[in-house]
Parts: sequence; structure tokens; C-alpha cells
Amino acid sequence: MQSTIGESKKAFMTGNETVTWAALAAGAEVMFGYPITPQNEVMHYWTRLAPKFGREFLQTEDEISAGFTVCGAVQAGKKAFTATAGPGNVLMQEPFGMAEAMRLPLVAVIQQRGGPSSGTVVYSQQEVTLTTYGGNGEGNRIVYSTATHQEIFDYVIKGFNSAWKYRFPTFILGDGYQAKMREPLTIYEPQERGIEMVTPYPLIGKAGHIGADREVQHLCNIYSLEEELYDVVMQHAAEYERIIPELVEYEQKECDDAEIIIVSHGVVSRAADDAVKLLRDQGIKAGYFRPITLRPFPEQQLRDTIAKSGAKKMLVAESAYGQLFRLIRQEIYGETIPIETLLMPGVGIIDYDIMTKVKSIL
Amino acid sequence: MSLIKIALAGEGGQGVQAIAEIMAEAAYNQNMQTIYIPNFGLEQRGGVSIAFLQFSDRRIGAPKFNKADVVIALSERAIGRTAGYSDENTIFMYDNSYPVPEAEFPEKAKKIVGLPAIETANNKLHPRVFNIIIMGAAIGLTKVVSFEAAKEALVHKLAYKFEKDPELRELNFKALQIGKEMAEASLQEGVGVRG
Repeated sequence: MQSTIGESKKAFMTGNETVTWAALAAGAEVMFGYPITPQNEVMHYWTRLAPKFGREFLQTEDEISAGFTVCGAVQAGKKAFTATAGPGNVLMQEPFGMAEAMRLPLVAVIQQRGGPSSGTVVYSQQEVTLTTYGGNGEGNRIVYSTATHQEIFDYVIKGFNSAWKYRFPTFILGDGYQAKMREPLTIYEPQERGIEMVTPYPLIGKAGHIGADREVQHLCNIYSLEEELYDVVMQHAAEYERIIPELVEYEQKECDDAEIIIVSHGVVSRAADDAVKLLRDQGIKAGYFRPITLRPFPEQQLRDTIAKSGAKKMLVAESAYGQLFRLIRQEIYGETIPIETLLMPGVGIIDYDIMTKVKSIL
Repeated sequence: MSLIKIALAGEGGQGVQAIAEIMAEAAYNQNMQTIYIPNFGLEQRGGVSIAFLQFSDRRIGAPKFNKADVVIALSERAIGRTAGYSDENTIFMYDNSYPVPEAEFPEKAKKIVGLPAIETANNKLHPRVFNIIIMGAAIGLTKVVSFEAAKEALVHKLAYKFEKDPELRELNFKALQIGKEMAEASLQEGVGVRG
């Protein structure tokens, strides 16, 4: 594959710029997009960098169109992606649903902003429900929630591979803070790290006679009979459930003897990590659990962590009014550990907030 | 070096984000862990613009913070907007080229320092290097980056302007130096120190 970054190097850049470099390194051939803060600079950097590497860009008339053009491009065998946020993410649910229905390797980067509606252009974690279970389907999606610029780089590359390997729409869920802030990271060519990129392939218009040389490519998003749809949805669900163990990712620290387990995701987990260290310094046995994949959710891993620790309480901290909390409750149904919450929709959470909450409930 | 948190605030167009970016760049070039995040509102111009900066030799957690080690507020509105980031450990610096009503100042601060940056820029240098005086002052107050590293990052950022007008180079360096000296002097001698 074409060299983009060359030898791995240190960089100091915004999260949006990181997305662009990662997409280039992953071999993305085309981006379709429509401007919305805080993801604008993904488009901005892509339009500056892409022509240098023979990659393409099209700004569509809206987000619905941007999503559908990605659906079209991937069927033609192009590694394509889009990036959006907030109301743009809402509009893209229709094409994301098509990608679920037709098993299209669509990749989307979501930089969450405040909601509902136009909310703020700044930051939130309020697009968890939308990104994991949006659309009129069953949430057969792969959603990586990143916390650092290094992870944005790593998971954009991984996201393209997951999409093309498993053919479920794949999301890199960031936020306005991650989009806009600058921090150091290392950028690299995947090949240099021994990461083999899945080669894209056309899903339609294949060579040979149907029936004689190859099977029919039945990519369909509407069915005449309810039984037909039922069979397809059941088959997709079974396929999704089968690959869960291969996809699930999480992070766990200091949980073995923890009295309280703090669960958070994305950028909030940075504060949770610091809070756990500071609480431990003060003699409070706190533990840290972070789902990296929100879909599929590390259900068994969280159940095991709770069981092994014997923790008395769990604290869910998020910059939303209970979207991660809802996800966790549905996933670990039946567990009896009391769950407390620190819900701060649309604003940042720092270690102090978490520590104060922990001390108030222990 | 332990974690140092700076909040820089001014009116849109005062160049707050530009100097935040240069300082972050300088720290990164010195192999420090650095996070810079602009607080951007819906307004494209006008409105108070805040830059949040964090410097450390260790990995930095959350990108924002509640209380800063140093707050630099460059307009009356910016003082009001950032007063909440100040507590008993905070050095709160503002531009005293214009009068500010008492009520705008933070209730808690380790020190409130007034620096006549706008006045100095207008009378001694050039209005356009006002923000560089502030950057010099920020470095003088915090020592987060060396003076040389700051100069280097400044040159890197403004290279294209310096090429067009070589006199700008010296003007900017002078502004940086004056800002740094004013801040250091105000800390030591208590010049312009309130509260």
C-alpha cells in the first residue's frame, strides 16, 4: 500500500487531524462529508492532505447524502468513510441503518457535541444511545469509544479493518474535547507495526455469470415478505453474536480488591483513572473499569470484575444523563451490586468531581 | 514538574488562542506532556474566547479543569468569565490598562496582578504585539517553557509573517521579553498587586 506517514513519528496535533492521518494510513480512498462542529477539521485536513496521496473527497448536500454516498462507495469496493456530530449523527442514522441491513463496511467518526438538537458545539457523551442503537434496526454495529489521541489513531485504523472483515458498520466515538484539543501521540504506518490492512473488495458487479460462476450478491434493504426479513435479521443477529468475543475490548485497573468500581468511557475515563489513583493514595480502595467497545459491550468482563472484586458499589460517571448507565444496566441485568451515578450532561468531568462523589457514597 | 494549569481568556480577535497554541507547541518541543483545548462558542467572532492549557512531565488526565494555577484575563468580560477558575492557589492576572469594577474580580486568589499590556503595546511597541506581551507574561509567571523554546515556537508559528516583514521578528521578541520582565517584576516587587 502507498506510504503516507513513512517512519513512525511523534506528533502534536488535534484529534480531528489525528483522524485524518489515521484514515490516510489505513488506506481510506474517499471521504464523504458535510460540515458540522466539532468535526469540521476532519474534512478540512482531509481536503488538504488527500490530493497529495491520490485520495478523494466529496462534500454532499447534507448528512443523509454523505452517509448514503459512503454506502455506495463501499459497494463499489472503495474504502470510504465519513465524520459527523450531533444533529448530523441523527440524520445519518438512515444510511447507517442501510449499512446494517446490507452489511456494508461503512466507517464513521463521531465527535459528540451537546444535545438535544443543536445543543452546544462543544462537548458531550450524549450520542452513546444514538451511535450504539440508533436507527430502526437491532444495533448491529461496532462502536469504539476512544480516550486519547493515540487511541483515536489506533482505533481508526482498527475500525477500517473491523468494518471490512466483519461487514458491520463501524464507529469511532470521540467527542468535541478530543476533536479540538492538542496532545502528543505517535503516528505510524500500520504495516510497520505488523498490522495487516484488509484489502477492500467490490460487493457488487463481480465477474462471472450468476448461478454458473458465482452466487448472487443479494444486498437488500427491503423485503416483500415479513418472513424474508425475519430470516435475514435473525441471521445477522446470530452472526453479530458469534463475533462478539473477537471484538470486545475493555480496560480494567485496581479492581481485584476494590470496594467501589468506577465505570466510565471515552475521555471521562482519563479523569476516572486519575481519581482511582488519588483515592488509593488516600486509602480508599477504588477500581477502574472502562468499556472500549460500547457495542459489543464487555458484558461478561464487567460481570466477572464485579464478582472477583466483591465490590460494595459501582459508580457510573458520564457526560450524559444516563446513556452509559442504561447500557450497563441492560448488559449486566441480574447483578445486585448497587449502582450510583455521576451524570453531567454536556460538561466535562474531572478527577475532583469523581473523588467527591465517591467519598459522598462510601 | 508537576501539573500546571493555565486559563487564558480574552475577546475574540485578541489572539488568545494563537498564543496558547504557541506555548503548547513550545512545551511539546521540550518533550513535555501538554494539552491545549480551546473553549469555542457558537460565535465566530466576538464573545469571550478561553484557552485551557495543561503542562506536566507526566500523562495528563481530563482536558479541562475547575481551578487554574494561573488565570490571565484580557478584558472586563473575560475577567467575569474566568473568575470561577480562581481559588486561593491561583495567580489571577488582568490587563490594568483600563479600569475594572471591583465586583468583577474573583473572590479568591493567591494574588491578583495587574499588567498594563495594552498600554505598553500601544505606547512602546505596536498594538499588534499585545498578545505576545501576554505570552511573555504567562511564561514569566509560570516558567512552563524556557524563553528560548518560546522564541523558537514563535518563529515557527509566524515564519511567513517574519519573511514578509523582518522588523516584526525583533518587535515580537521585544514584546515577549517585556511581558516576561513585567510579570516577574510584579511577582517580586508587588507592583500592581492587589488582594
